[in-house]
Amino acid sequence: MGGKSKRTFKVSLITLLSLSFALAGCGGNNNSNTKDNAKAEETGAAQTAGAADTGDKIEPFNISVFLGQAGQQPTPDNKIYKKIKDETGASFNFEFLAGDINQKLGVMIAGQDYPDMMTGNTKLTAAGAYIPLEDLIEQYAPNLKAHYADYWNMMKDPNDGHIYILPNYGVYNGKVNSSWYSGPAFWIQKAVLKEFGYPQVKTLDEYFDLIEKYKEKYPKIDGSPTIGFEILNYDWKNWGLFNAPQHLIGHPNDGGVVVKDGVAEIFADKDYAKQYYQKLNEINQKGLIDKETFVQNYDQYMAKLSSGTVLGMFDQHWNFNAAEDSLTTQGKIERTYVGLPLVYDKATKDYYRDLAVLNLNNGFGISINAKDPVKIIKLLDTLIQEDWQKTFSWGIEGEDYIVENGRFMRTQEQRDNAADATWQLANKAKALFDFLPKTEGSFSDGNSTDAAAQPEEYKAGLKPFDKEVLDAYGFDTYVDFFSEPPANPVYYPAWSIDLIEGSDAKIANTKLTELQTKFLPKAILASPEEFDSVWTDYVGEIKKANVKAYEDKINEQIKWRIDNWSK
Amino acid sequence: MAETLETEIAVRHSNRRKKKKRPVTWSLIKSQNQLIWMSVPLMLYIILFAYVPVWGWTMAFQNYRPAKSFSEQEWVGFKQFKFLFTDDNFLRVLRNTLSMGIINLVLGFVTAIVLALLLNEIKNVLWKRTVQTISYLPHFLSWIIVTGIVATSLSINDGIVNIVLMKLHLIKEPILWLSEGKYFWGIVGASHVWKEVGWNTIIYLAAIASIDPALYEAAEIDGASRYRKMQFVTLPGIKATIVILMIMSIGHVLEAGFEVQYLLGNGLVVDWAETIDIFVLKYGLAQGNYSLATAGGIFKTVVSVTLLLMANGISKRLGEERLL
Repeated sequence: MGGKSKRTFKVSLITLLSLSFALAGCGGNNNSNTKDNAKAEETGAAQTAGAADTGDKIEPFNISVFLGQAGQQPTPDNKIYKKIKDETGASFNFEFLAGDINQKLGVMIAGQDYPDMMTGNTKLTAAGAYIPLEDLIEQYAPNLKAHYADYWNMMKDPNDGHIYILPNYGVYNGKVNSSWYSGPAFWIQKAVLKEFGYPQVKTLDEYFDLIEKYKEKYPKIDGSPTIGFEILNYDWKNWGLFNAPQHLIGHPNDGGVVVKDGVAEIFADKDYAKQYYQKLNEINQKGLIDKETFVQNYDQYMAKLSSGTVLGMFDQHWNFNAAEDSLTTQGKIERTYVGLPLVYDKATKDYYRDLAVLNLNNGFGISINAKDPVKIIKLLDTLIQEDWQKTFSWGIEGEDYIVENGRFMRTQEQRDNAADATWQLANKAKALFDFLPKTEGSFSDGNSTDAAAQPEEYKAGLKPFDKEVLDAYGFDTYVDFFSEPPANPVYYPAWSIDLIEGSDAKIANTKLTELQTKFLPKAILASPEEFDSVWTDYVGEIKKANVKAYEDKINEQIKWRIDNWSK
Repeated sequence: MAETLETEIAVRHSNRRKKKKRPVTWSLIKSQNQLIWMSVPLMLYIILFAYVPVWGWTMAFQNYRPAKSFSEQEWVGFKQFKFLFTDDNFLRVLRNTLSMGIINLVLGFVTAIVLALLLNEIKNVLWKRTVQTISYLPHFLSWIIVTGIVATSLSINDGIVNIVLMKLHLIKEPILWLSEGKYFWGIVGASHVWKEVGWNTIIYLAAIASIDPALYEAAEIDGASRYRKMQFVTLPGIKATIVILMIMSIGHVLEAGFEVQYLLGNGLVVDWAETIDIFVLKYGLAQGNYSLATAGGIFKTVVSVTLLLMANGISKRLGEERLL
């Protein structure tokens, strides 16, 4: 190396280093720059938004959105998103959940890396990731204010009284047509009911009797062994195992507790829970429960349901809806399910179906990183208006639905389209609409907000076999199997209570879930003589967990809700 | 002539020794300045990505809340560690982690070395490459896919494992593999082997390739059989690699995994399936208790470093290769 080349080497090294320092420095600077920019833009945006109000020009802007569930990106030329862009200037940048939600949120929170809009989640609320919305709504969003008027107090965060999330479901308007029950029930194949001449099934014993008789008569369905009863208990989808006892005593879904006269207590270790699991133990002895039920994952469960060999299970309808769709596609209508509101004895009135409640852990919040909250809230305010809501739920008039005498209808082709997932990606704004504030019930012209719930549509879409089943029972829809729900108690439902991240109550709840996951399968699979000893162990372990902290927190919140939500 | 050469070597030798002891002076630094400059970016990289993050360990001694700044955090001393170590489940979780870690370590080593030895004996290059490619491809699958395959093959309705065992008349009834704790560690170990064996073999094959062929020829002339050659040429030839890799892996024993146990575990085998990582996910991340998660991480790091140093020390005592 000559002197010159040595120098060049040195110089280039120094340049390289200083460059890397400069770059590293830039990283930090950049951040504060964007923050300043954001502030500047915010004030600027307020002005432009003001200008937009006068309606002279549509400013294009982009909103990044995080959706807390898996999904597919809409096609770039999606009809509805294009319409939104044309008329409001807004375009969306969706990020769907891939993988585990807790992990994803942990990363987002650790990096304070939030998009403009995020779906509601208590973790994000606890991390201070949302901006309070009440003033924004008061000031810029009259339609949203009117939409949520009755629910205003409920939307406030119990911890600090701010509104962070705009719930997507639970705000009703006009007559509510419901043709689809999405909640929990004991489900049974329509074929089983048909086989035994459409009997009335009210109790748990009757239900398992039917399944037993059917399985005896048909040990194989389409060449595969018949499975009597499935219990899914996988990851967070654990209600299939945990939740049934509260319904069997005629109580609605309150999650892990039963609330009587405003006082909550866990039911996992109570006698009426024991009665249910003992019954499961008994039918397991008869070989009615799938051997693999506690080792399977959700995919395996869905595959079994989709094959049509499963006679019954306890589940929420929305959880296995896709399997029913698959059965319908295969033309096995008789293998789809009817939901039954079973109870222990006929004296108990079933309370499975409830009036929908405001879901506080869902919907959209605006993040602290949003460059332009005013613009976003104004957009949401626009989209809650009726013509937009119609566009979201029904589509474009003439293309996706037709109007006859003021009633919205669909042709068979439009109906088929609406059920086609690929078509939806190009012609529906499903991902966005799922989380948007929405009108439920009916529009001001009397049409149902949900195309599937429009009575004419529902009847027209019924398959002959479904007509037969419904006629046999004298019902209009499958929802009629359930009793009409009474008005919700003020606090209802207890499952939406935020236990506060990291609190003793939450730890106790995790412990309880862990114990249930571990002991209940053991108890069900045990030989009948061993059942009692497993149950005693289980109850003993629950006593050791700090269940009281959990119950106390729920009770405290129930009281808070009664005090603050009562009108 | 020979004498002068010898003295020359001796002189050089002593020179070298002297050099080693030469004190670090400015002139030395100056004369090696290129080397020093070249090491700076690397140092920066390590400081930035390996030492600065250690600052985050302070979280373990706080009740960390993400939205607050450092000065606003509440300090709680060893509360998180206390929770971690006093929880009923912790010992069980630690046992599972260690056992599965050790099973993975031993199985991983044995199978990889055996496969490397066997592959080395294959003289048909095309066949050898085919076997190697097939065996390392599963490495590129993610665990979620692998566990899906494992769960499906162990299923009692047309899972291949049960079918094969039934056809061989080894069992009468299909076994529900994933419902019994006693099988769980084995299943995890076997899945690891299936996924990683080919990949782990690569480095041994490389080490084998560097063995001087003259040694094999010499052994052959001495009349060594295939097995003798394996035993006295190949194995000693890759001993250094084995020991170094062993020391490094011992440091990772607590990384028994997360995905496999999380995805294959269920209520019936939870006593055997839960590892430290799952425990930390359940009671740390899922609760928004990042402090506990950090405490778990620190615990693992401390144990890992201790194990690594121990392995290294033992290796040194035994006069084997070592890492540090």
